[in-house]
Amino acid sequence: MSSTKIFQVRGQPLPRFPVRNHRMINTVVCGFPIISHHRVSNVLSRTSGPFLGYVPARTDENPFLRGDSNGRFGKFGGKFVPETLMSCLRDLEDEFNFVLSDHEFQVEFTAALRDYVGRETPLYFAERLTQHYKNIARTTGDGPEIYLKREDLCHGGSHKINNALAQAMIARRLGCSRVVAATGSGQHGVATAAACAKLSLECTVFMGTTDIEKQSSNVLSMKLLGAQVKSVQGTFQDASSEAIRNWVGKLETTYYLPGTVVGPHPSPVMVREFQSVIGKETRRQAKQLWGGKPDVLVACVGSGSNALGLFHEFVRDEDVRLVGVEAAGLGLDSGKHSATLAVGDVGVYHGSMSYLLQDDQGQILRPHSIGVGLEYPGVGPEISFLKESGRAEFCTATDQEAIQACMLLSRLEGIIPALETSHALAILEKLVPTLRDGAKVVVNCSGRGDKDINTLIQRGMPSSLC
Amino acid sequence: MVWVRFSCTIAKDPSVLMSPGSDPTLWQRPDSFSRFGKFGGKYVPETLIHALSELESTFLFLATDGDFQRELAGILKDYVGRESTLYFAERLTEHYRRENINNAVAQALLAKRLGKKRIIAEAGAGQHGVATATVCARFCLQCIIYMGAQDMVRQALNVFRMRLLGAEVRGVHSGTATLKDATSEAIRDWVTNVETTHYILGSRQALEKWGGKPDVLVACVGGGSNAMGLFHEFVDDTEVRMIGVEAAGFGLDSGKHAATLTKGDVGVLHGAMSYLLQDNDGQIIEPHSISAGLDYPGVGPEHSFLKDMGRTEYYSVTDEEALEAFKRVSRLEGIIPALETSHALAQLEKLCPTLADGTRVVLNFSGRGDKDVQTVAKYLEV
Repeated sequence: MSSTKIFQVRGQPLPRFPVRNHRMINTVVCGFPIISHHRVSNVLSRTSGPFLGYVPARTDENPFLRGDSNGRFGKFGGKFVPETLMSCLRDLEDEFNFVLSDHEFQVEFTAALRDYVGRETPLYFAERLTQHYKNIARTTGDGPEIYLKREDLCHGGSHKINNALAQAMIARRLGCSRVVAATGSGQHGVATAAACAKLSLECTVFMGTTDIEKQSSNVLSMKLLGAQVKSVQGTFQDASSEAIRNWVGKLETTYYLPGTVVGPHPSPVMVREFQSVIGKETRRQAKQLWGGKPDVLVACVGSGSNALGLFHEFVRDEDVRLVGVEAAGLGLDSGKHSATLAVGDVGVYHGSMSYLLQDDQGQILRPHSIGVGLEYPGVGPEISFLKESGRAEFCTATDQEAIQACMLLSRLEGIIPALETSHALAILEKLVPTLRDGAKVVVNCSGRGDKDINTLIQRGMPSSLC
Repeated sequence: MVWVRFSCTIAKDPSVLMSPGSDPTLWQRPDSFSRFGKFGGKYVPETLIHALSELESTFLFLATDGDFQRELAGILKDYVGRESTLYFAERLTEHYRRENINNAVAQALLAKRLGKKRIIAEAGAGQHGVATATVCARFCLQCIIYMGAQDMVRQALNVFRMRLLGAEVRGVHSGTATLKDATSEAIRDWVTNVETTHYILGSRQALEKWGGKPDVLVACVGGGSNAMGLFHEFVDDTEVRMIGVEAAGFGLDSGKHAATLTKGDVGVLHGAMSYLLQDNDGQIIEPHSISAGLDYPGVGPEHSFLKDMGRTEYYSVTDEEALEAFKRVSRLEGIIPALETSHALAQLEKLCPTLADGTRVVLNFSGRGDKDVQTVAKYLEV
């Protein structure tokens, strides 16, 4: 397994692409070979400040790859795309590698994360939730402690903005005037529209008709933010395909902004890098709060962006358990779910090799979840890899369990989580009784539930609540 | 970190102090008679006097109590997500070359100290209701929100949110079925249940950012909480200009607005003397604004006082101007403001051309507009 080599040699500017109005790189980039993406990702930490290319020289013997030069995580990932897109993807990869160590970009990005997105988000001790589970488990000790990483407090209402903002900045640097994106729950669409408004980029968002109905307030928000919303028959997977088609049609001026860790290399790595700020902050905050690391990290998994955002920082810390929760919809036996890792098979979809929900003929199955953002028949290649290597565990929660968990958190902590996030919260019921007293559980509270109020109304709340 | 700055170190005769032309740095606000000049006071039935005195003394104690302040600071940071950012709105600035949960958290803690298990509050836009329901869930307090039946329809999503958070939302059908009637009903409830019930009634970063103070502060004014939240810290800094923006609804001459300080007279409403919109017989005039949170015929006594002293300036903005600002800021900065906040943002159109280059304007971005997208979509045909 080869490690990633990204060389920025002293004195030599990176090849630029004149058609895109790049500024020539005149500054010298410190010429340390960067052994792995993992080390490079340190640049995005707010407190460590701008990164000037220093990397401790060490060989990567750790089995958990960060993706080799072809964007592979073991057998997963890759670039399964038409030839037309190959040079585009290479451009993108070069620009991405460059910005990771570009002082100017880092300073601007850090400031935007702080002042626009509202980072760092709190690591909140959910006292009443902890107490609730302690009572259920009837332990004589204090029980495990539950903390919520409050990505719901980010501008736009979810973690999606961390990535959208960074990529919009890259789009502008590449000289693109137009950004296209696809969205499921609308959160990525809103985040992209917001970032494009802020950076004066034209924005077109593709969204499935079914999703548009279910998340209509997000659709209105996108339009108010100046984005064009184009409806596509179907759901997120169809919208993604259409967005990619649109991109390929206008490559010169258009930047395709993925919201999650799927797609051909370098998308999975880029999105993960930009989301990894979640995990980095968590490490720092955990140290401050209890002088240690979390014992268990829990996150919902649609394609995997918020999960990787939290997990990535801790992948090498083998004493930290990583638990991903997929959507079991109406039940794994019903055929109406999105539990890709639980029942899927390996195949190629949207440009990369990963687990997916497919039938015997390799046709993609239509997934279902009440959490629209989890409704995707695939999953990021890096997530597939974490499963295969046994580094992370994956389980599922049904629609009903997610709704219950949503209402529980609302009642106990006064925080209304997104239905996607609620899947992660739902497994606490089964997880917590198995943990020792004082175990520190961090759940990624990936988004707020305002967008889901209509769904909850339609599903009918029990009369005891009204 | 003290969230309220109580300048009670100087004990002087208040009637001499808080007069026009006097030095604001010497004012004690409010004075020992709970007045801001002639405004404020305690116009309540006798039954409530004891509860108010108890509240006041606990509040004064807690303002300097280390334990309380630490607990509050922790919650504001980890639960509310403070401090909120002071964000340089580059595109908006370019274009011009062109407040709720904090209060609710502190009051909930206060209620617990007072041993009160039952919380009541009134809601207009519903934001204060949601904030109150939120903290009541967090602190395990019973929560009842009074809301005008009309507002409940306008802000149905917020009503649902409150119920989801475990609060009981009671519709008020009396009067005009809006905020003022909800407030009256809440007060009636409080008078009846004062033993068990607590009623939750509805600036450093600059130094870090540019090594100085803001030049101008701008905030929308309904009842006045977000404006006072921003202004209070700077009242003594007379070189900082403070501008409040009220709702002019369909226009000041239309009779359908909520511009209390511009068009109102002094009177007593909801327990305090302040400016209010009243007719010649002293009856409260029904206000109007596209934004439910500004749709209130009164205003806080401290605002009335600062206006009379000439310390703050008040202007007003119509529904239409607010909608334009709503659209403008969404497009330019990718941030959707609440319709209430949009009033303050609209004022920038008139204000900025009058300011010198490099003037630093801080606007209180009091709320986000998610709750208003349905309303705005109808008007703007989005």
